[in-house]
Parts: sequence; structure tokens; C-alpha cells
Amino acid sequence: MNFVMRMALREIRSSWRRLLFFFICIGVGVGSIVALRSTLQNANSALVSQARLLLGADVQIDSTRAMDQSTLAAIDRVARSALVTGRTETVELPTMTRPNDSREGALLVELKAVGPGFPLYGDFNLTDGRRFDAQMLESRGAVVGQTLLERLNVAPGDEIRIGEVPFQIRGVISADPGGGTGFRLGPRVFIAKSAIEETGLAGLGSRARHRVLLSTSESSPDSLASLVSELRSALKDNLITVRTYKESEQNINEQYTRSENYLSLVGLVILVLGGIGIANVTRVFIEQKKKAIAVLKCVGATSRRITIVYVAQVLALGASGSVFGIVLAKLALLGVGTYFADSLPANMSYSLRTGTVIQGLLLGLLISFLFSALPLLRIRHIRPNMLLRNEDDPLKRKIDLMRWVTALLVIAGLVAVFSWQAGSLKVGAFFLGGLAAAGGLLQLASLGLMWIVKRTRQIQSFPVRHAINSLHRPGNQTRVIIMAVGLGAFLVIAVQSLQRNLLLELDPANRGNLPNMYLIDIQKDQKAGIEKLIQDTTGERPELIPTVRARITAINGREIDLGSGEMRGDRGRLGREYVVTYRPTLDANETIVAGKMWDPTPVNEPEVSISEEMQGLQGLDVGSAMTLDIVGRKLTARVTSVRRIDWRKSRTGFLILFRPNVLENAPTMYVGGLNGPADDLSRSRLQRAVVEKYPNVSIIDVAEVIQLVTRILGNVTLAVTFVGGFVFFSGTLILIGSIAMTQYQRAYEAALLKTLGATRKIVLTIVVAEYGLLGLIAGLIGSAAALGLSYSMARFLFEIPWSLEPSIIVAGIAGTVALVVVVGVLSSLQSLSRKPLGVLRAP
Amino acid sequence: MIELFNVSKQVPSGSETLTILHSLNLTIPDGQFISIVGPSGSGKSTLLGLVAGLDAPTEGDIRIDGESIVSMNEDALALLRGKKIGFVFQSFHLIPALTAFENVLVPMEIAGVSKAPARARQLLEDVDLTARAGHYPSQLSGGEQQRVAIARAFANDPSILLADEPTGNLDSHNGRHIFDLMVEIHQRRSATLILVTHDHNLAERADRSIALSDGRVVADLGPRVLSPPIGAEREIDRQEDRLTEGTHATEVVQS
Repeated sequence: MNFVMRMALREIRSSWRRLLFFFICIGVGVGSIVALRSTLQNANSALVSQARLLLGADVQIDSTRAMDQSTLAAIDRVARSALVTGRTETVELPTMTRPNDSREGALLVELKAVGPGFPLYGDFNLTDGRRFDAQMLESRGAVVGQTLLERLNVAPGDEIRIGEVPFQIRGVISADPGGGTGFRLGPRVFIAKSAIEETGLAGLGSRARHRVLLSTSESSPDSLASLVSELRSALKDNLITVRTYKESEQNINEQYTRSENYLSLVGLVILVLGGIGIANVTRVFIEQKKKAIAVLKCVGATSRRITIVYVAQVLALGASGSVFGIVLAKLALLGVGTYFADSLPANMSYSLRTGTVIQGLLLGLLISFLFSALPLLRIRHIRPNMLLRNEDDPLKRKIDLMRWVTALLVIAGLVAVFSWQAGSLKVGAFFLGGLAAAGGLLQLASLGLMWIVKRTRQIQSFPVRHAINSLHRPGNQTRVIIMAVGLGAFLVIAVQSLQRNLLLELDPANRGNLPNMYLIDIQKDQKAGIEKLIQDTTGERPELIPTVRARITAINGREIDLGSGEMRGDRGRLGREYVVTYRPTLDANETIVAGKMWDPTPVNEPEVSISEEMQGLQGLDVGSAMTLDIVGRKLTARVTSVRRIDWRKSRTGFLILFRPNVLENAPTMYVGGLNGPADDLSRSRLQRAVVEKYPNVSIIDVAEVIQLVTRILGNVTLAVTFVGGFVFFSGTLILIGSIAMTQYQRAYEAALLKTLGATRKIVLTIVVAEYGLLGLIAGLIGSAAALGLSYSMARFLFEIPWSLEPSIIVAGIAGTVALVVVVGVLSSLQSLSRKPLGVLRAP
Repeated sequence: MIELFNVSKQVPSGSETLTILHSLNLTIPDGQFISIVGPSGSGKSTLLGLVAGLDAPTEGDIRIDGESIVSMNEDALALLRGKKIGFVFQSFHLIPALTAFENVLVPMEIAGVSKAPARARQLLEDVDLTARAGHYPSQLSGGEQQRVAIARAFANDPSILLADEPTGNLDSHNGRHIFDLMVEIHQRRSATLILVTHDHNLAERADRSIALSDGRVVADLGPRVLSPPIGAEREIDRQEDRLTEGTHATEVVQS
């Protein structure tokens, strides 16, 4: 062992520059995995630790209707348990607010009416340093978000109007429990629960959510679970949801573990690219060490011992590269903390997680070993006889069993690594298979292009002709470079192209005749007035659609029980509240995919048409019976058709559509879309005019929502581009490494050419032409693949029209060519500038 | 003792088979100094490589101290070399990544010799390179590199030293020095020394000289064996003329 360790150390001492690249490959790969995993785990634990704060309680009882006395009594009976230490109630709803004087502006806010005892958990602080106190809300007081002050141009002490009632601003929120996360339509406004009745907003049919919050004494999870099941059985028929913070924790955990595993696969792609670089370095390294290995064999070392010497080097490099990667990950996390903190949960830590650090180290070692195993096997075939006659070992036609066995073991090892990282054998195997297939396609494409390039060898220009020949020289790195750079270019171009298409889709100029403002919560008796007001302002009569709120209570006679095992998977679709409408015909963006659409004659038997998204839900299909609860009334309707809705062209879309003549007398709210005025001031005035007259009506300004979505999309794109950039960076590293590997050969060739009369300019032109060709091939392949990916993602995943963006493609190819040429020339400069004699005389 | 029985070596050359050695029989007693001479392509280096187990014969048997090495696998051969055989090459073949001292140390480390560093220092002193112990091969002259190679060849105190034109890449002064060194160590340690050379003068100083031509032994004689095998005189004369011409040609190039 002594010999092995000493030899390995001596080798590293002399070859570390050549192996530096190996080290960086592993470092970048390990770094990205550790950084991605740590960030997600930190975000996860920040959210989990806030689960109780987000819920605002240990147990939350939630209903879309005001809870009647019997329900509240039922809750109180259970809540009398010794376990329950606190109780409060809240009502939440989105609504419009405006200054209570002649000032301009109206704003959609998230109104939260809270009872005494709020908050049960979490800090509620105001910007002036005071803590929230329920007394502040007494006699029509409000505590509001900072944005509201800016948007409505009001200050503490001023009054704002919510519904029919003026409220005085008594404080400005700096931190509220459960605030700071999630998607918000508008700033929060807190008022007293007792005041909500006066606003007239929480009535029947409104979108208010009524909640009872309970806190419990810290005890075993079992007692919490039994409290919850008692509550659930007491409230069974009331379409009320009971949740605990434990369940939210579990949901958050599940979601994050999934995304963490998928994102780690992206990191693994980077590491595998590094692995390809490693395989390449090892192959060339062993090639260069052939003589030294033959000498060692000559002085008595067995193949096994020599192989161990090199395995030890690989592991030492893998380990130190992983440590370097962990340093990189730490830097990356600091960067994330500095630049992305706004988009991430508050209180999130930006330190490395021990578990991920250990994982990173292990992965670095494993990938180093797996990818160098096959090249290291070559050591066995180096014959000491080559020292006597300078010839290559005779071609071995025999099947090398050891090589095949090792190859199989390496593949098995990779499948294991991928499955471990993906958290599933199937996903891991598929991912690796996909990667291998993509690599194979890249290889095929590069072979095809190389073939074409080879056909152009008759070109007049000597440097270009020579460059083409160089692509085929023995020991060339052409395929490795094309693969590495092509893959990097592919990811970066694909992300950019997809983002451009998504932004194009959101661009108001491309939204055609789709509305840019929506009016919601219009009551029946307000319909005519609203229609007139809008027509007077915009010259266009809005189409107001009747909507009714409903919940599914049974399908084909089977009651919905969200607690039962088989229904748990569909909890989201079964437990939600549906907004349904009725009309005699299909909309322009709808087509029937199953069953038959009704004719416009009214009937008495309730009939519904469902969207294809709902088909199959607990067996739901044409002919099924679906029982809905509509404001306390049960209604069973037969499914007679299934519709496909083109959501892109939809002003509104309804998953459940009723045949007319059934819902007309149910509590109805109207919604409508319109094309508001183009300029901000007129839009704001229109909103103000509507709210002035109809305080319960909310207005969603699509322009604002699009701004918000664009910002989120920008962040996502930045993150993905960042990861893609990492891949591109690894590709560049492989490029540099590959060039460094052919350094000696290049220097020798350059010296020969110079001896034969070539000027430095000719030699440089050859290098530029060679790397220009490589960059061109890689760029072409990468962008072609990127177009394919962005097209299929746009059409099939996001379902948006896709358009070719020539500027991205051209920039992508040009950028790839420029990068490869610059890197190629810079890394070759040293070998090109050496004096010919010195190079030719070197052994 | 080294014994070769009907050893022949063939290699594929294009679609044909080229015979490098023809059914060779040879016995070399322990401690003998043998020179092998012959024109380029006569099979000298191949013969040396076969004796060192660097290559396997196509037919025949090679025994070292009575043990056949033909059926040994690569690793067994490596171990055998580590124990019994030292090799000096024309182009030195030092490991560029290691210092002179480490190059000498490596065979002993492989064999697990205790007190290897002390012995490596002693060997470097024997070849008068103590001052250059920490230098890398690229920092040494050709003669110095070959002296390191000799020190390395003797590291495990082998009973057989094989040298393939060890002075071929050196000027005549350095060449003479290297040769003297090898002979001195051979005598001091009474190791078998087999020297492949083009240099007629060096070959003459061996106990025994074997001339090869086209893969056949055409002469096997030594200073103490005065009568050459019957019918071989003419061939030897021809050989030696050729060798002398070769030596002259080399000298012309070097001057």
C-alpha cells in the first residue's frame, strides 16, 4: 500500500496541472447538486417551520359559507377539550377598497376580518414598531399593507371605504402571521370580524372564507389527530374542511422532496457532463503515461498495483474536487441569498446542509470512479515491450470480458446513482436512458455533420483544409467537444427560446380580443346597472355570465369522503368549490369530445357537461350521476357530454356547465370581462367609478396580474438560465480540458508547419478555422435540439402557440462559435508560440 | 542460468507473417557477461525482450533458473522482473514525473524492500549522482539519465542485467563511462550481464559474444573460446566488417 500511496502522490505532484480540469469538473458538478439541494431543503424547512404560522393555528376549520349556530356549537363542543388553548375566528375575502374622499383610485385587496384573540401564532408587527392589538380595529379601524398607502395615496389616520363602510387606517403592517409568502392579488387589510357584517360583503354567495382557528397545548401528535377526527365527524355533512399544521407540513415536505429530487437530476446532468470530461481526461492521461506505466511493469509492478495507483489518484482528485464543489456551493448560496431572497421564503437559512454535503462528497467520489473505470482498464493492455520497440500494442480483436463486465458494472452504478438522486429507480433509469439517448443523438448528428465537413476537403484555402483534417486527426477530441458544448448550447438556447415564447403569449398585444379587466361578484340586481356603466365608459357592452358556487358531494351515488384512501389522491378536485354556469350552447372555444351537447330547449331534468379535465374523476363520465351542493341544496345531475376547452382563447372557462332551466333561481353572481381603457389613469377611474356605485364588485386588472406573472417568470427564467449556464460552463471546461489534452500534438504540428515555411498567421488561421468549425457544428446541433425542446414544451406542456425566434438561434450559434474560437485560441496560444526547434527536440 | 530452447518469434506484418527469431537455442550460465551483436533488424532487441519476459515467444521455451517463464502471466512476469532482472534501455525510459532518487527507489518500493531510501542513495552514489538526486529526468543530461537507469536496474540486486544498446544515445566518452560502470557493477555483484550493442569494441570486452543475423545465431564466441563453430568463420568476418563500417558511420555522424 505504501508504494501505491507514494506513487499516487508523486504522480499528482507532477501532473496536477493536467488534472486540474478533472478537479474542476467534479467541483462544478458537486457544487451545483449541493447548492440546489441545500437551497431547496432550506426553503422547505423555512416553510415547514412556518406551517403553523401560515395556517395561523394548530387546527383550522374552513368553510366557504358563514358557519351557522349549530355548526359553531358543534365545534365548541369538541373544542371544549383540555387540549384546546385558544380559539379565534376569521373571515377572508378579496374585495375592492378606495379612499373615502374624492381622491383617485380603487384597489383590489385581501380583506381579513379577525376576531378577538388573533393571532394565535406568529408575530404581528407594525411599521411604527408597535405590536398589533385587537383594540386597534375597534370602532371601524383597519390595519393595512404598505402597498395600499402607495397605491391609493393615503396615510395612517385617513379613511378608506370597504363595501359601504369607511374604516380609519390605524396602522401599517410590517410583518403579519403567514404573510410574505404566496401569490397575492393585492395588499392585506385587517378589520374586526364584528365589522364585516356592516360592510355587507360576507353575505350569501360571496367569495368569503370563514374560518375558526384553534391552538392546542403542545402534546403528542396523536392527541391532535384525535381532536381533528372528532371535529371531522362532528362536521361531516357541512362541507367544512378541517386541517392541521401537521398535514400542511407533510404536504410541503412531499412537494419539496419531489422538486428537490427533480432539480438534483439537473445537477446530476452537470455532474455527468463533468464525468464525461473525466473519462476523457483519464483516457488521454493514461495515453500520455503509457511509457511510465510500461517502465513500472518493467521494474516489477503488476497491472493490478499500477491500476490501484491510478484509482487512488482518481479518488484523491474526486475527493478534493468535491471539497472544492462544496466551497462553490457555499458561494452559490451566498449569491442566492443576496439576489433571490425576495422570491424565497422569509427566515430562510442560506447555509449548507450537512446531509447534502455528505451526499455531494459521495457523489463526487462515485462519479469520478465510475467515469474513469473504463479508461483505467487500458493500463492492463500496456505492454512493457513498447519500451524496446516504439510501436502501439497490436489491435486486440478478442472480446475483452473484463471490459464488458466493468462497463455493465459502471452502467449499474450510474443507474443506482441516478435512482438514488431521483428518489425512484424508475425515474433514475429513465433519466439515464434519456440522457444516453440524447447523447447518442448528439453523437449521430455530429457524425453526420463531420461527414459533410469531410466532403468539403477540396477547399482551396490551405488553413481551412488543414483544419478539417485536424478534426479527424488521431486522438482528436472532436466528438467530446461537440457533445459537451452542444449540450450546453442546447439548454441555454432552449430556455431562452421558451421564455421568449411565454412572454410573447403574455404580451397584451398578442392576446387578441381577450379581456384585460374582469369584474367579479356582481349581484343579480346590479347586472343592468353595471352593463350600462361600462357601456357608457368604454362604448362596449360587457357580456356578464351568471355563476353559481357548488361542491361535489357524490358521484354515481357514492358520497365523497375525503378521508378515505381511494379518494385521497383526488382530494384537490373533489374537495374544491366549483364555479358553475349555465347556457344553451357551446362557446367558440369549446368542442365536444364525448357524449352529445343538449339542444337549446329547456328541460326539467338537470343535465351537466363536464370538461375533459374532470373526466375519470372517481369514474365520472358520460352517463354518470353527479350530486352537487349548491348553497345547502343538493342537486343530482346527469353528465351528458364532455367538453374540451381551449383555455388560451377563453374569456372564462367552466369545468361544470349546466343545461339552462335548473340553476336560474340559485344564488347567482355575475362575472364579466371587458377591454378597459388603455391608459392607467382611465383604468383607475373606471375601477373607482364601479366601486363607488357597487362596493361589493371586485375588479381584477389583467395588466397588473400579467406584470406580476412576468416578474415571477423572469425569476424562474433567471434560475433556469443560471442552471443552464452552469451546464454551459461545464461544457466550456470540457472544451478547455480537451484542448489542453491535445496541446503537445498541436505544438508539434505547429512546429513542423513552421519548419516547413508556415507563418504564424497561417498557423493561427488553422486554429481559428478548426475551432470555428467545431463551434458551428456544436451550435447547429444545440440549437436544432433546443428548437425541438422549446417547440414541444410550448405546444404540449404550456399549450401556447410557438414561433421561431431567429434572433435567439442566430445569437446562440454565433455565441457558441465565438466562445469555442476564443477558448480554443487562448488555450492553444502557448503551444503555438513555442520555438520550433525546442518542440521538435523534446523527447 | 538462462536457457532458451527452440525459441522462435513471429509477428504479423500486413497480410504476411514475419519471422524475427528462428528456432534459437542458447544457454547462459550465471555471472557471465555476454554481448549480442548484429545488424539492425537481426532480432537482438527481440531476444533481449523475450529473456526479460517483456514479450512471449511464438514457439519454444525460456527458462530462468530452471523455471519456464513462457507460461507465466503478465503479473507473474512483472514480479519475476522485480526480483531477478534489471533492464537498461537505449533511450533510458526514466519516469519523467519522478526525481532521479525516486526513479531508483520505485523498484524497491514495488518489491517492498526495507531501508529502500538508504539503498537508493547508495546506488546513486555508486553512479556518482548524489548531487543530482533531486533532479527530474528533464533536468539531467543523457549520460546522467543513463546512469540513473543503471542505478535503477541494480536496485533490487538482480541476478540478471539486460542492457539494450545502453550507449546508443550517448557520445563516445559518456558511452565508455556507462559501459565501465555496468561492467564494474556486474563484476562486483557477479550478475549475469547481457549487452546488446552495435559497438564492436564494447562487444569484444565481453566473456562471450553472440552474433545474430536474420534471426539466427551466426557466431557464438568469446576471448577464451578461440575456435569459432565450424563453418562460421566467413560469416563472422562478414559480420564484423559490417559492424566496423557501422561504427565508423556512427563516429562520422557524431563528429
